[in-house]
Order: sequence, then structure tokens, then C-alpha cells
Amino acid sequence: MMSTPAAQVAEDPAEEQRRMLRESALAFAANELKPARMRTLRLQPVQFDRKLWKTMAEMGWTGLMLPEAHGGSALGIADMSAVVEELSRALLPEPLVASAVFAGNLIAHGDNDALKAKLLPALVAGDLIPAVAFQEGLKIDSPVQSRAEAAGKDFVLNGVKSYVRPGAGADGFVVSAKCGDGLGLFWIPAGTTGAELKLERSTDGTDIGTLTLKNVKVGADNVVASAKVGAAAFDRAFNEALIAGSAELLGLMRGALDMTTNYLRTRVQFGKPIGSFQALQHRAVDLYLQQELTAAALVEVARLFEEGGSGDQLNALASRIKARASDAAMQIAREAIQMHGAIGFTDEYDVGFYFKRIVALSAWLGNSAEHRRRYAACSGIGKKT
Amino acid sequence: MTNWNAMSDEEFRQIARKFIEDNYPQKLRYPSKRLRWAEIKDWYFTQSKAGWIAPGWPVEHGGMGLAPGKLIIWVEEQENYGVGRAPDHGLTMIGPTIIQLGSPEQKAQYLPKIITGEHVWGQCYSEPNAGSDLASLRTEAVLDGDHFVVNGQKIWSTLAQDATHLYVLVRTDKNVKKQEGITFLLVDANTPGITIRPIMTIAGDDKFCEVFFDNVRVPAANVIGGVNKGWTVAKTQLGFERIFLGSPKLPQYALGRLEDIAMKIGAFDDALFTDKFTQLKLDVADLNALYRRYTEIVRRGGQLPPDVSMLKVWSTETYARIASLMVEAAGAAGGLDGATDLGGMTEDIMTHYYYARPATIYGGSNEVQRNILSRATLNLPG
Ligand SMILES: Cc1cc2nc3c(=O)[nH]c(=O)nc-3n(C[C@H](O)[C@H](O)[C@H](O)COP(=O)(O)OP(=O)(O)OC[C@H]3O[C@@H](n4cnc5c(N)ncnc54)[C@H](O)[C@@H]3O)c2cc1C
Repeated sequence: MMSTPAAQVAEDPAEEQRRMLRESALAFAANELKPARMRTLRLQPVQFDRKLWKTMAEMGWTGLMLPEAHGGSALGIADMSAVVEELSRALLPEPLVASAVFAGNLIAHGDNDALKAKLLPALVAGDLIPAVAFQEGLKIDSPVQSRAEAAGKDFVLNGVKSYVRPGAGADGFVVSAKCGDGLGLFWIPAGTTGAELKLERSTDGTDIGTLTLKNVKVGADNVVASAKVGAAAFDRAFNEALIAGSAELLGLMRGALDMTTNYLRTRVQFGKPIGSFQALQHRAVDLYLQQELTAAALVEVARLFEEGGSGDQLNALASRIKARASDAAMQIAREAIQMHGAIGFTDEYDVGFYFKRIVALSAWLGNSAEHRRRYAACSGIGKKT
Repeated sequence: MTNWNAMSDEEFRQIARKFIEDNYPQKLRYPSKRLRWAEIKDWYFTQSKAGWIAPGWPVEHGGMGLAPGKLIIWVEEQENYGVGRAPDHGLTMIGPTIIQLGSPEQKAQYLPKIITGEHVWGQCYSEPNAGSDLASLRTEAVLDGDHFVVNGQKIWSTLAQDATHLYVLVRTDKNVKKQEGITFLLVDANTPGITIRPIMTIAGDDKFCEVFFDNVRVPAANVIGGVNKGWTVAKTQLGFERIFLGSPKLPQYALGRLEDIAMKIGAFDDALFTDKFTQLKLDVADLNALYRRYTEIVRRGGQLPPDVSMLKVWSTETYARIASLMVEAAGAAGGLDGATDLGGMTEDIMTHYYYARPATIYGGSNEVQRNILSRATLNLPG
């Protein structure tokens, strides 16, 4: 077992709460999350378990960050990240970050209280699984082309949204679209006339979607955020998803590296454990270093994010951690297989699930190169006056 | 008999290109997965009938006797057209071994059938507990009259489910230094007692197999290189393997795909991408230069020095870096399994990222290659 930093002797209440959250996630993971699940779920039409999602809701996790007025716990991104990290470490295909953090917060940051009152309690209770449909090209900075045209009080939407996570199993979509001079956000329940979802398989064995909108009518009651607040709401929820998504990658790193160091200790070749070969020892240490850089940066980023700042500052923080987490995770994923040898390349062995989920989540919401670019743009690199 | 080597490179290139265009099945161009024998055997037979199947083999054994420069052209033309790899253990591994070390009877029995595609070969070296430490293998062969009786388990045999024949390393003496009690056997895959179980890979195909031997009777005449001399045979063969696995084929092919994708999605508008791409392009160009050094030695009939291991290290790691840049350039599509739309072209991005993983493991892992290089080439202690 990889050792985690020892708990402080005198804990402040926030720390203590986070530790308890972590422990309950750990206990849940030990009981409920078995890697073997991944082998059966990927064969289902929806590749996560709604019953388990409901249990997670009962644990308070789907509403952890949502307003208390709608049944949530109104906790911050640091607490959410702690839970996500522990669950992800044991492999979690359920869309906690995509639905509860990204979509949930996006709805909460909007300016439609009646819609919040309708959707958020259902999300908190585990009865609603929303997804965000925002991306239109390969890159996160590809411009939004989808349009929402006003038709009286209602809107008509046209456009194509790709890489929507979750695709299979989503009950509805928060869709971003150009609306006048601003960005509007609209709630489109799955199966709405004119909204067609095409599924594609992600490396992690879940289906993500391409949502094609042809003259989809959205009533005023389903406007998540008006064009006045849409862009700001989106950026905030996107940044929160980046941070929680990085925590998810960190959990996967820990799981993959644990498996790998265990293997190094037990696999014998040339009469000794392969972990006694210095060539592997040094690289294992390099991986641990990347993992711990991510962990330390995550704590700092979450804290600074909660303290607040300008839009650019918050964007830079979130991109900083997603860039680090994606790179570190990809490196650990590749090395985990390399250090296992051929068995690591088999479907029968669990390390591949970590590898695949890491590939999927490193690309999702922007890979490390995209986030370094975003960081540079938002932090003013090269613009010193 | 055509004297290929007397042609100008350009003339040869035109003929090779036309042969491929006229004969290679359109639907198998740029396959995203390693092709099974049933899918690609017609192409094998076509090359065989036309005399193109063993370009590197000597003419007297049915090859074309191509010089290295021409061989590289042949490889390049296949890559440019997206020709898939046929099961080739016969052509690249066991064929050359039999040419070098086989008896006249073994040459007559096996070589022509590799050329015709009647025999498809699989390699059974590794065992669950004998991977990098291959010499510790335990599958046992005991002489019983004029047969060996083989018992044990092999694993990771590439496409063994399609093989008609297996070449197997077995233990024939347990009481000597482990390298000195190993024998190299040729085994008909249909012999009773052999069970072959495919193993699924993380890429979703069953590219390799477990092979179980339960009292399998193999004629003693099927030994190559002499009883208890199998380690020397395997080492000779690893020479071919290292030069084969170190060929620029894999990275060059992937680089071509990356270039096509990058053009379609406009990645070259990004100066940073262009720099990364150019670096890889030069990595492949210089790999070609290094490769030529060793193919030249082979052409002159010389002994490959241990530093041929550099080829495998550089080739497979360049391939891995190309696969990584492909995933990076694809952005959100970099997390998709299977073919997806990229700026109007359909491409399976992940296939290279998946297959870059075992490339640094099989054929002597890159760690093992580096151990060889540090000891045998740099003369470092240890
Ligand atoms: C796709 C694929 C196809 C294959 N096809 C065949 C085939 O057709 N026939 C066949 O017989 N075999 C085949 N193999 C098996 C291959 O030869 C072995 O995987 C390889 O020898 C490594 O052995 P292993 O997998 O048991 O890993 P291990 O030897 O257990 O190695 C695990 C890790 O430890 C490292 N390591 C081991 N020893 C040292 C050391 N001394 N110093 C530093 N690091 C070390 C390795 O490099 C690796 O990273 C194939 C493998 C793959 C992945």
C-alpha cells in the first residue's frame, strides 16, 4: 500500500470533515466498487449502475456541492474532490463528475430558480442524471456555433454537440448555444423531438454522445441560464469540473500505481522481484513524484479556487491542475502496463481498466496541451508589463 | 529470373507500387487492428504466386534476394498504400532460422511451405514465469524412442490460434546451467495434446494465446541446432528479431497517419504541433539511417553486434511518442475507442496508442535491451 500523508494532530473542523468524507468514500469503495464490475457494465446499454448511483445519492455525494435550498450540502470543490478521488481510485464508471459536478453546478449557477427547484432535488435524490453538451470541435476552445433563436418567449435551437459524457444513460442535456450576443444554456430532456443522440464508445467502456439539434423548441421554463449570465455560469461549472476531474484522475493514478508497485514487489524474474531492478525502481519513484505533485497542486488549486478571484485567475487555476493531472496520469498509465509486461496488456488483468479510464478522462474537458494553452492565455504568460 | 537489385531504385519503386495497387485488397487498406490469417491470406497467396512474398530471403529458397535499399523501398511502398501485416513468423523468424541452422531435410520440408503460405507459424517461447528471464523456462521434453514427449504451458504466443506449426523452446536437461538444457523444437500444431486458448488484449482483439502441451509427441528429427543447443538457436534468431522489430516500419506508418490527420484537422496551423511533428519526423529519418547501418551488415553476411538493440529501443519508443502526439492532437477524440470522424476522415486514434504499449515489451523488453546495451556495448559492470 502506498502511504498517504499522516493526518495532522490538531485538525481544523474543515480538515476533519474532509477526512470523514474521504473515509466514508473509502468504505463505500471497499464494499461496492469491484473492478470486475467494469467487465459486465461495458456490455450493458448503459455502462454504469443506476442502482449504485442511487446509493451514492443517499450518501449525499450527488448533491454535495448543490445549494441547501434544493437538498444539497453546499460544500466546496475541495470536499467534492476528496470524495471523487477515493471513489475513482477503486474504478467508478458512474458519472459523478460529469453529472453531479459539471451539469449539477451548471444548473445551480444559472438564473432560473423554478428550473433549479425542478431538476436539482431530483439530482440530489439520484433520480436524474444530466449531462453537459458544450463541445463542438476536437478542442475545448473550438468556437460555439450552435444557435438559439428567440421565438416569442421560447427558443429554437440548432447545432451539433460532440463528446457528451455521459451519452448513454443521460436523462437530459444542458446545452450551450449562442443567444444574441451572449451564451445561453438550455435544458433539453433526452428524447426531445429534434434532438438526436448518436453514441460512440469511449476508451473507458462507456458511451459518449453526439447530440444533433434540429429546430428543437425550448420553452422559457427550460432556460438554464439566460444570455446575461450563461458564459459566467459555464466557466465556473467548467472550472469546477476540471478540478473534480483532476481529482478523478488522481484517484486513478493512485489505483494504477498501487497495483504496479505491488506487482514490482511480487513478480519474480532472474531469481528476484523485478522491483529490485534499479531501472524500474527509479521510474517507479518518478511516477510517485508525478502523483504527489498532482495531489499537492490539487489541494492548493482547490483552496485558492474557493477563495475566489477574477475569471482569468480561476480559469488559470483549473487549467493548471487539469494539465498536470492529465500528463501525470497518462505517464503512470503507460508505465503501469510497461512494468507489468505482457499481462498488463490483457483484458483479464485489471490494470488495463485504469489505463483506459485515464486515457478517456485525460482527453475529456481538454487534454494537457489544451490546458497549458488556456493557462498561458489566462495567466498572462509573455504579457509582462 | 528478374534481377531486382540491378534495377534503379526508381524503377523498382514503380514496379513495387504497381504490384501493390493492382493486388492489395482495397477494403484492407489502413487496417486499424492486426489482421487475422483468414482476412489477409489471399494477399499472402497473391504475393507468393508472384514471387514477392519473401523479398529478403535468398533467391535459392524462393526469395527475391533484395538488397537492403530495395527492401526499404518495398516497405515504404506498402506503408504508403496502407498494407496490413500478415502473420509473418514464418517469413521473419523461423524461415531465416531454418535457412541458417536447419538440416537439408528440414529446409526442404518447411521452407517451400512458408513461401506458399501452407504453413503458418507461431512462436512458443514465453511462459507465465519465464518472460524476460526466458532461460528459466520449464516446459519439459523427455525423449521416448524417436519422439520427444512435451508437457507444460506457453503463453503470449502471437496469433497461435491461426498457426499450423509452432516453434517451441523446451527444457531437455534440468541438471545443467539453465541455458544449457534448452532445445528448439518444430511442432505441428495439430498434434494431439495441444490446446490453444486465445487471450483478449486491452485493444479488444485476441492477438495472443496460451498454449498447453499435454503429453505431446514430437518427432526427435524436429530439433533444430541439436539437443540442448536451443538457447544458441534462439539467440541467433533474436538477432533477426531485433533488426525486424527495429525496422522503421511501425513508426513510419504511424507518422504517415499522423500527418494525414494533422492536415485534415488543421493541426499544422499550430507552430507547437509542427515543431513536435518535425521532431518525430527527424527521429524516424535518423532511425532509417541507423537501420541502414545494420541491414548493410546483414547484406554482407556479417555478424550483428549487440548494439543492434538500439534499433528496437528507438523504433518502438519513437512509435510510442508518435502515438502520444496523435492522441494529443485529436483532443476530445483522443479518448475514443474505434474509428471516429476527424475533420472528415475516419481514423481509429487509439489503435496506435494501444499497440505502442506491447511494442516496448515483446521481443525482449526495452529494459532488457538497455541491460544488453549497457553490459555488452558500453562494458559497464553488473
Ligand atoms: C503483444 C505481445 C506479443 C507477444 N508475442 C509472443 C510470442 O509470439 N511468443 C512468445 O513466446 N512470447 C511473446 N510475447 C511475450 C514477450 O516476449 C514477453 O512479454 C517479454 O519477454 C516480457 O516478459 P513478461 O511479459 O513476462 O514480463 P516480465 O519479464 O515479468 O517483466 C515485467 C517488467 O519488468 C521488467 N524487467 C524484467 N527484468 C528486468 C531487468 N533485469 N531489469 C530491468 N527491468 C526488468 C520488464 O522489462 C518489464 O517492464 C509477446 C508479448 C506481447 C506483449
